[in-house]
Amino acid sequence: MSNINLKVADILDKNREALLDSWQQQLIVNTRVLVSEVGFNSIKSYSEQVLLSFIDSLTQDLSAEEDRFSQTRVLLKEFIAKIDFNNVDFVEVVNFILTLKSSVTNLLIKESDACISESILNLTSWFDDLTFYIFSICIETRESLIREQQRAFMDVSVPVVRLWNQILMIPLVGMLDSSRTQQMMETMLGALEDYQSRVAILDISGIPVVDTLVARHLITAASAARLMGAECIITGVRARISQTLVQLGVDLSGFITRSTLADGFATALKITGQQIG
Amino acid sequence: MIKKPQLNNKPVKPDNSNLIPIANFENVILGRQRVREMMNSLGFSLLDQTRIVTAVSELARNIVVHAGGCGEMIISAIEKNNKKGIECIFKDQGKGIADVNMALQKGFSTSNSLGLGLSGAKNLCQEFEINSVVGKGTQVTIREWVKR
Ligand SMILES: Nc1ncnc2c1ncn2[C@@H]1O[C@H](COP(=O)(O)OP(=O)(O)OP(=O)(O)O)[C@@H](O)[C@H]1O
Ligand SMILES: [Mg+2]
Repeated sequence: MSNINLKVADILDKNREALLDSWQQQLIVNTRVLVSEVGFNSIKSYSEQVLLSFIDSLTQDLSAEEDRFSQTRVLLKEFIAKIDFNNVDFVEVVNFILTLKSSVTNLLIKESDACISESILNLTSWFDDLTFYIFSICIETRESLIREQQRAFMDVSVPVVRLWNQILMIPLVGMLDSSRTQQMMETMLGALEDYQSRVAILDISGIPVVDTLVARHLITAASAARLMGAECIITGVRARISQTLVQLGVDLSGFITRSTLADGFATALKITGQQIG
Repeated sequence: MIKKPQLNNKPVKPDNSNLIPIANFENVILGRQRVREMMNSLGFSLLDQTRIVTAVSELARNIVVHAGGCGEMIISAIEKNNKKGIECIFKDQGKGIADVNMALQKGFSTSNSLGLGLSGAKNLCQEFEINSVVGKGTQVTIREWVKR
């Protein structure tokens, strides 16, 4: 049990009002956007709670492995969750704790005595710890935001275009991963049934790289269409793509492939015994 | 207190480093884009670009699927006998391949897939080297030269 910690806690507790005042002043100056985003009352209440829990943590008798600041971390996390990172800079969020560090350090220097250097050393490492903690939650938050956007982006629904009587067209764009393939297949099979269609055209012009993964998904979709008694035509298979697929060893010979959508449409008309005009 | 770093108002440059960590499918896409850009600037034909980018897609994806995303790719512009080319190294610290010849056979797959990635990549590139140590990892190097 460190007496120094208790001593520091005592000093902080005795000067709590002044400390809060100085911290909040600094917050207003240094984290202007954060204050206006979260609201001054909320900042006030959180700074009060954080300071109380911080002082309280210093009085705990803990072993080295135990987390001194678990309570403080809970508060910080709750506070950060309220912040919209589209408006507030990370730096301001980190300054939330660094302004407290500067207020506490100033106070301790004023109240200084023999053991001041050691207590400041301790303080530095505690605040570094909490600062890193804030950084890590900020990054975590940002990353989950990015993941959400990615998911939203992947989620654009797969459109089905009814090109002609009995002929459907599904334009494929971007990444064809398993979940999108699943979605594409469901849409396609549903539409084949709804519109009593006999031909589904899968247009891959919008797929940047046709590798074995894409090929596997295409084969799955085309086979499923066949099982429903429909024919599947893969269009947008330009010369350089078919040459690459051959070298890759992918065999699409069991399926109708055409280099342009126009060619595919002409073939579909033939299959369904229709003519335009 | 920390201050926001000043960037002299210069726009933040995209990271142009030619080492790309390959941990997930988004990284695979980034790797493909970088290779395509470099091949374009080196004067490769559209067919060459399509072939090599497809091979890159296979090899990078193998790192994600078979090596747990513990790896990276390194892209460089190279030159030999006045010929320009591109080299891509795929390095991972995955479980390695016990029998490389078997893995290079068409249709061999431990993941219930088509098993065409490795053999296909070899077919698609002018130069292809593979080294694998079980328990240590795998390294594949491909090279392609601009045709004159
Ligand atoms: N980087 C790697 N690390 C460990 N094992 C690998 C690696 N790359 C390939 N392999 C092994 O070699 C096999 C063949 O690879 P290949 O890319 O040809 O097929 P696949 O990845 O299983 O299927 P596909 O690429 O056709 O979707 C794999 O199933 C896997 O066992
Ligand atoms: Mg593969």
